[in-house]
Amino acid sequence: MNDALDVALRLLVVFVAFLALPLIVGQTEHKVMAHMQGRLGPMHAGGFHGWAQLVADGVKFAQKEDVVPAGADRRIFQLAPAVALLPYLLVLLAIPVGPGEGAVGQAVDAGVFFVLAVMGVGVLGSLMAGWASANKFSLLGGLRTAAQLLAYELPMLLAAASVAMAAGTVSLPGIVDAFQWWWLPWQIVGALVFFVAGLAELQRPPFDMPVADSEIIFGAYTEYTGLRFALFLLAEYAGIVVLCGLTTVLFLGGWHGPWGADGLGWVWTLLKTAVLAFVVIWLRVTYPRLREDQLQKFSWTLLVPLALAQIALTGVVKVVIQ
Amino acid sequence: MTPAATAVLLAAQAQTHTHVQVQAQAPAQGFLSPTGVEIAFLLVGVVTFGAAVVTVTTRQLVHAALWLVVALGGLAVEYLLLTAEFIAWVQVLIYVGSVVVLLLFGLMLTKAPIGRSPDADSGNRRAALAVAVASAAALVWVVVDAFRTTWIDLDGAVAGAEGARGSTQVTGEALFRNWVLPFEALSVLLLAALVGAIVLSRRTSPGSDRPTPASDRRPPSQEGAR
Amino acid sequence: MTMSRRSVPGSGLAKGLAVTLRTMTRKTVTEQYPESQPHLPPRTRGVIGLFEENCTVCMLCARECPDWCIYIDSHKETVPPAAPGGRERSRNVLDRFAIDFSLCMYCGICIEVCPFDALFWSPEFEYAETDIRDLTHERDKLREWMWTVPAPPALDAGAEEPKEVAAARKTADKLAARQQTTAAEPPARATTPTGTVPHADEQARAAERPTRPMGDSRQQTDQPRQEGRE
Repeated sequence: MNDALDVALRLLVVFVAFLALPLIVGQTEHKVMAHMQGRLGPMHAGGFHGWAQLVADGVKFAQKEDVVPAGADRRIFQLAPAVALLPYLLVLLAIPVGPGEGAVGQAVDAGVFFVLAVMGVGVLGSLMAGWASANKFSLLGGLRTAAQLLAYELPMLLAAASVAMAAGTVSLPGIVDAFQWWWLPWQIVGALVFFVAGLAELQRPPFDMPVADSEIIFGAYTEYTGLRFALFLLAEYAGIVVLCGLTTVLFLGGWHGPWGADGLGWVWTLLKTAVLAFVVIWLRVTYPRLREDQLQKFSWTLLVPLALAQIALTGVVKVVIQ
Repeated sequence: MTPAATAVLLAAQAQTHTHVQVQAQAPAQGFLSPTGVEIAFLLVGVVTFGAAVVTVTTRQLVHAALWLVVALGGLAVEYLLLTAEFIAWVQVLIYVGSVVVLLLFGLMLTKAPIGRSPDADSGNRRAALAVAVASAAALVWVVVDAFRTTWIDLDGAVAGAEGARGSTQVTGEALFRNWVLPFEALSVLLLAALVGAIVLSRRTSPGSDRPTPASDRRPPSQEGAR
Repeated sequence: MTMSRRSVPGSGLAKGLAVTLRTMTRKTVTEQYPESQPHLPPRTRGVIGLFEENCTVCMLCARECPDWCIYIDSHKETVPPAAPGGRERSRNVLDRFAIDFSLCMYCGICIEVCPFDALFWSPEFEYAETDIRDLTHERDKLREWMWTVPAPPALDAGAEEPKEVAAARKTADKLAARQQTTAAEPPARATTPTGTVPHADEQARAAERPTRPMGDSRQQTDQPRQEGRE
């Protein structure tokens, strides 16, 4: 009975975080992006500086008609948003925010693999949407999504493998437990590769070729309306949370901080995640979109070699230390 | 290998897996007092098998690929139930995350219609069935013969101990202590495949002596102009 | 991509990040419109005001309008001769003057072509309606806009007086002189009913009023008004 309560409580907390954090990131994006462009952003919804803008958006989406195109593959079209969103919920379950058993939804033995595997599944949602919409823009978006995933999954995995090598474990809490401050310079290349490849996998600008709105409308999500469209958007922001959380846990030492480590570890984790989320938004505002060939070239000729070099470096240092 | 053939093979594997489990567990504990894990295992096995059958029989190509996702995911769940967590996640990562994405990517490049493809039946039904049954039989026979009396201790994993039979540590130790040579041989094979792929994709027409793509010759000011 | 110009690889990327970050710390340029009025230039083309008294129904504005959005109705009235035995005069009387702002493209041609300075730009812009028919502003509404027209910019120091003012002053001086002379010996003409000498009377009236209603305008300067109109 106590166990059941414990599980239910954990699930509830993760679920609330899953609903709240992406909205916070989204609202931050509204405001940060606006100020970086010399604007104010939403100011009215909710009264104080438009804090409830995304809530209002959600209400608006819920009111809209749920349209399925006549030529579409109905069931797959309707299933796609769930496939895109749910994996991030599962991933969030495995990210530890603080030390000990109490601060993770569910400790997973092969955490790194679990997280990366499930994140890869999320992209299937975009592919399903792209194919099932019976729309050429959607199809193009789906194709680009697939090409991008194939290109960026590899450097992401390699970078994660490097840090797993350094820690000698593939469990996420284990990696953070093994973290030392000098890992930061040691794994910095891997961290950058992981973060950039993660951005590309989420199709965030400047890697948003699959949804490039100025040329293919909204890629795989072109035909979606109402709540299903909102689910795709939510998946994107949940993806940001997950990516930033993962980068924090893998490369930035999670709950380790210069001071106040005991009991306040989760604050450090959240703080680092928030800073990374800010960086994600910052990058979006700053850089123009990469062209498709530049995207592929960037991954195969820069990120993959860098990740391999990082693995080699990790191996050498590891052997030398021992 | 065509997607259909891959699907057939994988379906065969799925079949195999189901059979192996029945064979391995049934005699030790009997059918009359099954544990929850066993029931779940059987149910997931049935789902996996069904998905595999639909994969090879459906006439909607993309549906076949998506049913393949279900079949592969079902296999991953089976691995999980056998406490082989690492293998399960790698299964998801490689097959669902990469192989199926590649399959879908290929399918999107074709003219696969939404709805039934009239020519999805290749006419090799009998041959495919024969191959599937034969490979399933071979695998079942080999596995049953090899692991006749092996009993997988599931309880170690439930307790969350390090000693679970399928944990990452155990798998890694087995792989790099007992099976290093096959592992390295596979690595070499994969490397050869990689090199081969690069060579094939870099082949240019004999006339052109400059194989660089047009984008490289653009003035730098246009790079990233969009 | 010349090597000499590239200093450090990635420095351009860093510069871009610096630009966005710097912009974030600066004050935004957004004007929160309904809460605070925008800072418009004084000659903003907001709406067109009609100074009816100057209109002679010459129809030039209506004819030149590219959108055909000016509607003018008028009739002729005969005016009795100015002097006994003279010819009767006919005069145009404005019945309707309307501008359909749902068609208007704010080119300002009507204002340019008006030979009698009857049309003016006003910077007012808050006249949105829920019914498109209400965007056709009739004569009375156009006159209301007239009170919001800002005064013309001041002339250069030492510049010649505007012709209208000069003419008006001349008439006023004449009138004053005549009144001085008639004050000594009241003539018959001063007791004549105004109806019989409309022309002179009109001239006198024209002299007393300026060509544009500057006295009534609440917009005396070139600064845009910040408060809402009544």
